[in-house]
Amino acid sequence: MIYRTSSPWFACFTRRRFCGLSSVAIVTSSFLALPALAQNAPPPAADAIASHGQFLDQYCTECHNDDDVAGKLSLVGFNPDDVSAGHNLGTWEKILRKAGGGEMPPPNREQPPMESKLAFTQWLEGALDQHAATNPNPGRATLRRLNRAEYANAVRDLLAIEVDVSELLPTDDSGYGFDNIADVLSMSSTLMDRYIVVAGKISRLAVGRGISKPVVTTYLVPKDGSVLNQGIPSWDERASDDLPLDSRGGAVFDYYAPYDAVYEIGAYLNANTNNEVDRMPELRVSHRVQLTAGAHKIGVTFGRQLRLDESVQTLHNDVDYVWMPTEPPKDLPVLFVVDGLTVGRTTAPSYFMSARFSQANFPRDVLEIDVDGPYDISGPGNTPSRSKIFQCQPSAAAEEAVCASRIVKSLARQAWRRPVTDADIAPLMNLYTDAHANSGFEQGVEAAIEGLLVSPGFLFLREQDPAGSVPGSVHAVTDLEFASRLALFLWSSLPDDELLELAVADKLREPGTLEQQVDRMLADPRAAALTENFAGQWLYLRNLDLLRPDVYMFPNFNARLRRAMKQETELFFGSILRENRSVLTFIDADYTFLNQPLAEHYGIEGVQGPAFRRVQLDAASPRRGLLGQASILSVTSYANHTSVVKRGQWILANLLASSPPPPPPDVPALKSTVDGRILTPREQTELHSSNPACATCHVRMDPLGYALENFDVVGAWRTEHDDGGGRIDVSSSLPDGTKLDGVAGLRQVLLERKDAFTRAFAERMLTYALGRGVEPEDGPAVRTIVRRTAADDYRIRNVVLGIVESEPFNLKRTPEL
Amino acid sequence: MIIKSKHMNRRTLLRGLGTAMSLPLLEAMLPSASAADLAARPKRLQALYSPNGMIMERFTPATVGRDFALTPTLEPFAAFKDRMTVVTGLAHLSGRGTHSQGCAGFLSAAEPRPTEGADLLCGVSIDQIVARKYENETLMPSLELGVETAAALGSCNPGYSCAYTNTLSWRDETSPLPVTINPREVFERMFGDGDVVEGAARLARQDRKASLLDFVREDAARLSGKLGSNDRQKMDQYLTAVRDVERRMQMANQSNVDEFAAGVDVPAGVPANFAEHVKLMFDLQVIAMQTDMTRVGSFMIGRELSNRTYQEIGVPDSHHMLTHHQADPEKFDRVAMINRLHMQHFAYLLEQLAATPDGEGSLLDSTLVLVGAGFGDPNSHDLRNLPAIVFGGKRSGGQHIRVAANTSKANLLLSLVHQFDIPMDSLADSTGIISELLPS
Repeated sequence: MIYRTSSPWFACFTRRRFCGLSSVAIVTSSFLALPALAQNAPPPAADAIASHGQFLDQYCTECHNDDDVAGKLSLVGFNPDDVSAGHNLGTWEKILRKAGGGEMPPPNREQPPMESKLAFTQWLEGALDQHAATNPNPGRATLRRLNRAEYANAVRDLLAIEVDVSELLPTDDSGYGFDNIADVLSMSSTLMDRYIVVAGKISRLAVGRGISKPVVTTYLVPKDGSVLNQGIPSWDERASDDLPLDSRGGAVFDYYAPYDAVYEIGAYLNANTNNEVDRMPELRVSHRVQLTAGAHKIGVTFGRQLRLDESVQTLHNDVDYVWMPTEPPKDLPVLFVVDGLTVGRTTAPSYFMSARFSQANFPRDVLEIDVDGPYDISGPGNTPSRSKIFQCQPSAAAEEAVCASRIVKSLARQAWRRPVTDADIAPLMNLYTDAHANSGFEQGVEAAIEGLLVSPGFLFLREQDPAGSVPGSVHAVTDLEFASRLALFLWSSLPDDELLELAVADKLREPGTLEQQVDRMLADPRAAALTENFAGQWLYLRNLDLLRPDVYMFPNFNARLRRAMKQETELFFGSILRENRSVLTFIDADYTFLNQPLAEHYGIEGVQGPAFRRVQLDAASPRRGLLGQASILSVTSYANHTSVVKRGQWILANLLASSPPPPPPDVPALKSTVDGRILTPREQTELHSSNPACATCHVRMDPLGYALENFDVVGAWRTEHDDGGGRIDVSSSLPDGTKLDGVAGLRQVLLERKDAFTRAFAERMLTYALGRGVEPEDGPAVRTIVRRTAADDYRIRNVVLGIVESEPFNLKRTPEL
Repeated sequence: MIIKSKHMNRRTLLRGLGTAMSLPLLEAMLPSASAADLAARPKRLQALYSPNGMIMERFTPATVGRDFALTPTLEPFAAFKDRMTVVTGLAHLSGRGTHSQGCAGFLSAAEPRPTEGADLLCGVSIDQIVARKYENETLMPSLELGVETAAALGSCNPGYSCAYTNTLSWRDETSPLPVTINPREVFERMFGDGDVVEGAARLARQDRKASLLDFVREDAARLSGKLGSNDRQKMDQYLTAVRDVERRMQMANQSNVDEFAAGVDVPAGVPANFAEHVKLMFDLQVIAMQTDMTRVGSFMIGRELSNRTYQEIGVPDSHHMLTHHQADPEKFDRVAMINRLHMQHFAYLLEQLAATPDGEGSLLDSTLVLVGAGFGDPNSHDLRNLPAIVFGGKRSGGQHIRVAANTSKANLLLSLVHQFDIPMDSLADSTGIISELLPS
């Protein structure tokens, strides 16, 4: 919500109006004042500190004073000695950022000579870093709850169970662009209810005591929102790596069989749009199979025959109705697939006429898949979960308590991320004893696991201050606490045995060991969490699922293209991290990852089939780097038109860490005509941005956005505006006069701001790693990471290691009681 | 139901820890056993929605006032005629003639914002206004049930989010509540998941949940002593959540769940047969009302824009397509057949409510039921002359009220809210109330 009077934007507006209107007078007066200043100025070398004070007086307090309070900031009384004394450090960091980044003084005000500016910013940076070196500041840290992705991963790793429990939990709120921010992650009775439900379900499944009555589990195959009643054959390609090579269309989903038993795999067939959602008996296929207990990939798909006559009549694409086929229907083979293997077959006609008014059915794809079971249970099976949990099996009643205690202790150690004593697990053992008395050994263990999964020691990252530490004082977190922070950062999960053992021995942060552990963790499959959760939020990839481009304007946008867009960027991010490439690769890369649908979308030839592969890009390709990827270009567009502003804002916020303030509440609508003449989209935006109220921020956002106008709403290349608005002009200039032309020019501009980009990236990743917003006071820590990265060809692992070794990541302030 | 001493011990323990815990008066939780005092009885609200509008020519009684003759569409309610008030002539004049408006406005009278994005905007629905009144007295504030899978974009109203046509219930103006169609899910929300829900097994599970809550509360208490103020606040949130769950659990313990749960089998999933599916959902809704797990329900017998076919009554056509009948008499008849079938299913719920004792009366005596649809004429998406029937409430039925043409539908909704003694001056574009619906 934006309150007009307190909005920083408004403050900035006021400043410009008043300072701006009288700018001539001010320039004159300061010009007149200059000789006097020069006369009184001490020789530069004699008193550097005083000259920095004069710099402030001359270039800043003109507007940032007690009367104008431009940008809600007055620098009256600010003294360069403050920095070493540790006063107003946050404000000094902001001054450094604004002056160093060229944002201040604003272009229409008197500019300092380059050497004075450099002298000032270099002194300020040095002074701030020097103060930080002797006064470590870990910043604020609040008790952190696992978010739902972390909870799901932790459950998976603790119990060796492949069930995605995140779907059973409500989504968490986000702050600072991420959903793992400690301050924001709250607790409610609804969430507690869900934790209890999930703990019950998962503990039963893990010990092999899931529901034994047959239950139907349904999976609705995601479809795109195409309005075309196409009736064409299902995609003539394999829909998933978990389906047979000679299959096409259909889908596969994760199913957890609670017992070794018989299950019925069923599906409703439909055409390949979600316009047909009827579940009619004649559209149903099913097949019974024996499954072992545990996780399976269950699929239903169509067989792909190699004979030419397999092709069924392709029908006319039309929004209103479907032309009837003239050839008789053919039999299409339907396959039932378990873990990649075809376990059953049947056939379905390529179409049939329905008794309805003007309707025919083309069952050429799968609407939904369901699994019904268990039937004829033969036992709980030998699942990875049971193997992990039941590390001992009591052969006599007398051994049960000892064995249970061993099991509970081992699980509690991992769940609570620390060594545990008998006293620690006593409450869990009470749960075991109660349940054991009622039902038996395994049920007792199940009850203890259930307790573990809702215990605060599991749900919260417990960090204890050293005994007797003074409130407000700073201390290093223990190796165990550090291991938990590290595992949450790189895996969004629990530390494994290796990390715990190193931490218990207090060796985790020894030189060499830490680097080796970070390398090991990044090579582990669990590091996929960093792509999914960090990159997914940094690059807005999660928003791709919500994307709804106008179906009439972009009829070719569909579910598989959406999936491919996301996958390209995920693979790209993963490759940079895995191969320890330069972070500048995000800006400009000579490769990307494509499959056929995405390559066709990009107009790149020679990529065939649904599988992704690395593709080299030539120097002229517009697809080099993130800014050429359809994912980013789509999530920064509206359903039916691109947005110069959204894209520019996205670049400022995510690639340059220089977010403009939010727009004011009463943004005037774009005008489409002036004096009866129809304006081009660019003219409309320019007219809007020329409004002085809007210009301050738009001069920074718009030029960046214009450079990307060759990409349409779904990231396809274009040279003309979609609505016949004429040829697209992608040239523009930045506030400092830098000219840029199109996406190549934009890449060049960003590459020239290597350190600004590296800082932006480091700040985003630091926010994610700490679970809190990065504050101006974190400036020294961020600069340390940036310098380290720059010194090693900008390789990305320097950022990861720099964060892991940073003060905020290693230190904690004892809270005030 | 006997309250196990264990639970009492826990409360004593809580006091010992100095933790403030408010337990509701036990008496207040027990179903009223005294003489039928309708005004003092917990009141309930059930909304029933038929998608894709109504053929009003087959719905509207020929005469107004008492002694009206039942029309073909209303005939299924013959047994309940003396409790039935038919209201015709209402309209959504401010809305655009879309399926999104008809459906999203059914219980809110609000105008849904045209967007397919996340920036949904509608209005709070009256079931949720009532649910909020009782939310601390029942296990679940409300149940939103249906029998047709929610649609994905592409098969919804172009330009509008599917949320507007997938549900009737809006917790607030930006939060649509999803409709549950799987009886299994409803069942688990009511009884927890497990093979057996009644008797000893249920008690054992409740016991286990009680010890689980004991455990986490003690563990959290141990931890919070060592925390700074910020962190303690987080832990307080946690403890409050635990206590709230405990409180709800005690309520569930005190209700007479077993008696009714014994008759219901754990549903495997969605029954293949439509009629069975509808009946099962209604059975679950009745149990939820009867055990006072909730007092508010909304039910959609199809999502808006439903293309279901009704072969069981000889209508092989998709429902929505059929409603654009363009005066084709055959299509017109078939839509009316679907309307009537929906009313037959709704009558089943009324029968169940009437057959279920509640104090000295029946559940139907204490439940206000609203039946309706989103269009007065589906062929032209007409938002005037909307169909509405009210059963129960403080005024006896048996009448047909024709309001002045184009009276806002919000007036009806506001009148229903008033029956729950909820003070509200206006709702959406309401201009007043329908006084005939309130006690004289």
